[in-house]
Amino acid sequence: MLEQLYLVLPMSIIIIAAFVLMLLSHHKSFDLNKLNLVAVLFLVISLAIVIKQFREIESSYLFLDIIGEIFIVDTFALLFDLMFITGTILTLLINTDYFHSRHYFNGEYFALLLFSLFGMILLAHSHELVTSFIALEIASLSIYALVGYHKNNRISSEAMMKYLILGAITSVFFILGTALIYGAVGSTTLSDIATYTNENINNKEDLVLVITGATFIMITILFKIGAVPFHAWVVDVYQGAPFPVTMFMASTFKIAIFAIALRLYLVDFVSLHGLWTTILQTITILTLLGGSWLAITQTSIKRMLAGSSIVHSGYMLIAVTSIGLGSQLAAPAVMFYLIAYFLSSVGAFGILSYISAGGKKQLTYEDFKGFSERRPYLSIMMSIFMLSLAGFPSTIGFLGKFYIFTAAVESGQFLIAGLGILMAFISVYYYFKLIAMMYFYPKNEKQKPLRYTFSSLLIILMAVLIILGGIGTSLIPYAPSADGLIDMAQVAIESLKPIVQ
Amino acid sequence: MELLLSIIIFLPFFTALLFGVFRASTYTLRLGAIFSSTVVFGLVIYITLTFDPLGGMQFIRNVDWIKNYGISYYLGVDAISLVLLLLVTLLMPILYLYMWHENRKGYWYNMMFLQSGVTGALLSLDVILFYLFWEMMLLPIFIMIGRYGNGARQYNVTKLLLMTVLGSMSMLFSILYLGYMHFEMTDSWSYALGDLASISLESHVEALVALGFLLAFIIKIPLVGFHTWMAPAYGSSPTPTVVILSAIMAKLGVYGIWRFGYELFSHTLTQYASYIITLTLIGLIYYAIRAITENDLRRMFAFASGSHLSLITLGMLLTNIYAWSGSLYFIATHALASAGIFLMIGLLYKRVKTVQISSLGGIASQAPIFTFFFLFFALSIAGLPGTGGFVAELLIIIGAFKTNIWIGLFTATTMIAAMLYVFWMLQRVIFGPKSPYIEECRDLTKREIIMLLPIVVLLLLTGIAPSLFMPLFEPQLSSMLESIVPISIPLSLPSISGGL
Repeated sequence: MLEQLYLVLPMSIIIIAAFVLMLLSHHKSFDLNKLNLVAVLFLVISLAIVIKQFREIESSYLFLDIIGEIFIVDTFALLFDLMFITGTILTLLINTDYFHSRHYFNGEYFALLLFSLFGMILLAHSHELVTSFIALEIASLSIYALVGYHKNNRISSEAMMKYLILGAITSVFFILGTALIYGAVGSTTLSDIATYTNENINNKEDLVLVITGATFIMITILFKIGAVPFHAWVVDVYQGAPFPVTMFMASTFKIAIFAIALRLYLVDFVSLHGLWTTILQTITILTLLGGSWLAITQTSIKRMLAGSSIVHSGYMLIAVTSIGLGSQLAAPAVMFYLIAYFLSSVGAFGILSYISAGGKKQLTYEDFKGFSERRPYLSIMMSIFMLSLAGFPSTIGFLGKFYIFTAAVESGQFLIAGLGILMAFISVYYYFKLIAMMYFYPKNEKQKPLRYTFSSLLIILMAVLIILGGIGTSLIPYAPSADGLIDMAQVAIESLKPIVQ
Repeated sequence: MELLLSIIIFLPFFTALLFGVFRASTYTLRLGAIFSSTVVFGLVIYITLTFDPLGGMQFIRNVDWIKNYGISYYLGVDAISLVLLLLVTLLMPILYLYMWHENRKGYWYNMMFLQSGVTGALLSLDVILFYLFWEMMLLPIFIMIGRYGNGARQYNVTKLLLMTVLGSMSMLFSILYLGYMHFEMTDSWSYALGDLASISLESHVEALVALGFLLAFIIKIPLVGFHTWMAPAYGSSPTPTVVILSAIMAKLGVYGIWRFGYELFSHTLTQYASYIITLTLIGLIYYAIRAITENDLRRMFAFASGSHLSLITLGMLLTNIYAWSGSLYFIATHALASAGIFLMIGLLYKRVKTVQISSLGGIASQAPIFTFFFLFFALSIAGLPGTGGFVAELLIIIGAFKTNIWIGLFTATTMIAAMLYVFWMLQRVIFGPKSPYIEECRDLTKREIIMLLPIVVLLLLTGIAPSLFMPLFEPQLSSMLESIVPISIPLSLPSISGGL
């Protein structure tokens, strides 16, 4: 029992922290800084425990004798926890300046963020469809509220409504899919579903409900990661949301969706992959093309990053399709890509929010003219993030793409790998445009210089991690290097395997 | 000893990094740049002196980098890369001398990063590592042209970036495919060049994979048809960048074909050589004509250099020892000559703020020392006997005649065409009536003479005593040639070619 309590500790700390923050936020003597610190404190404790668990735990169900196989703690989930909590800590810390620059932030913000984090952690650990749904909704509902956090801003409210309505409709598909699967299997735990599909693999008629249900669930997942044709919300919502929220959504929330998607796809529907290959390939191609198109045409950096986040979903879908076609490398590749994308997008959004804390509401390409003269270091960092997003070698983004395209080649999808590389080529245009703006144009005199703060230190840390992840070797001990990260990803994927059998 | 190559690659990089972190002043930066590049040059001289021409790959350093995918940090130097390495490391200190009064720090940082990227690409024997350096050297070029260039620099540099990245992406695809095929055949990952060369593919697949690599190299050279970035980028470049573009980057494209083309798919390359040869022959003449018509000195020599690079590529594709050693020799001498002429153009621009041929004239009476150096470099571009370019061109032309009489005839026109555009340019720029623009034109300073002298001496030395340099690489080229099926071009005049 004690052992179980130890395992459940990280998420309990976070939910407790969320409640504590909610209560504290009404206390006059707690200003934003203190609340921020309290939140970070709780998160750091939780993170430390997760790291400790990550080194020890193989795979174990939580309170098996009380609630059955609803929650699982395995390396896979813990790796995701690691990313979620780090992402939230970074979101809180990098945006310190931003909170102060906008009057509409108050204490509930931190509580909502932590509730969302709690939902995501549940999602990564859930081993049962209804629980997944509830976890997904906990995470999503907090995000809906956060997107519309700037109440008096029309764009923000519009984004919230758009996201809320579309998100609610697609969530319905998840629950409908769950119902259909339950109708066939008689259970909603993932291992039961996996057993059922494996036993009836040659008997397609028994699987009709499972297949339909799984397809419905897939729709929800594709919506949440912003795959074309479910992408209509992405650009507007990213633009409407306050910067910290956009950063949280793009880097952390997106990863959470992949946590459940990978678990379902690798554990449950492993024997049904062939059925979806064509659908997934079509969606991948559409996502890559549509996302690139959206990203090229934007003038606002935030919207460009939103568009490009669709493209990144497309890359990861390439690997997901490859899993279905029997690639052994694809699953670790997705994990690695998630880490890579996480680091780069946190950095990029972090810089944007840091700059926009200086007063600017909208950041366009034009606003970056002469940025290298105002802030030489920061523009180097921004260049590193852009290079990593574009997949330039010597950054972690390159290795992420390298693994994914290798997986695509391994599964025989040469054309899709080619298309992916072509899209990476196109992405060079819109990412390098920003670098060009920073370096090629003279200083715009009107802007005032930025202060160096704690945020910039964290941004530098992200950039160093990106470079380390791209070129770091096993020669440097204890550092998360290119070699170590892919090992971690493989270990995480391995931890799913015993259930697959 | 085994760290020697790593030091050569990374010394400039880390110097720049260190100075960047501590925000060094321009003065310290200059010292650091010159110091690091001189040390590197010294090390390369040491390598040259201890180099064994028959030894193949030497100074090898091979450690794991990403174990799961068999990617290794694998460096080595052989005769071909040594020639290029000597060039790069010699030119960098000269360029720093040229930049002496430059107080924009970005210049110095980017040059040091660039040197690391270029030498890294030269020395890496792991394909992924090569790809890394290959892309890494693009970035400083991009920033330098875009930031310090002139004219429509943003547009032109974006063009350069997109075209070269398109090439690299196609190469990446080929690399991925090769790597995976190696895994499928041997069940172990490796991206080492030697390992990838050992796998055999179906011929049409191999042709496609080779195409991926070739596209990257051909765009970088560039051969005709892939050249649209060249003249605008050269025209907008600041002088150090344009020297690097023409003297180093373009040569790396040729080096790439040599290293990767011949090691990975020599069969395909010789089989399809006639297509590329056609491209180079068209390029030879087309570029020469463009060079004649250009009014901007930088653009004119951009096309001239395109013409000569076509010749170099041609020589490399004709698989006989004359053409090959001529080609490698020409890489070296042309790099020196074009570095010289672009430096002169840069000096001219510094003085008179224009490089339009129509607004120049009569420099000879104003600045005699300048005129001497300008004449010398321009003539060595044209292949004046007594300079290295002449020897090299002659060897390639002999090699071309050995292969096929028609190719030989076409190749020989390049010397005539070069004479044409160089002499006509000289007549308008150096001689003739004095243009109002050049009233302010000062003569060369001591620093500038010191900077140019090594190039002059080397060009003369290569021209007068080729036997000093040839033994360095000839043994390796001969032994490489033995393992390659020679190309055969069916189109020939039997009576004449029989006589040769």
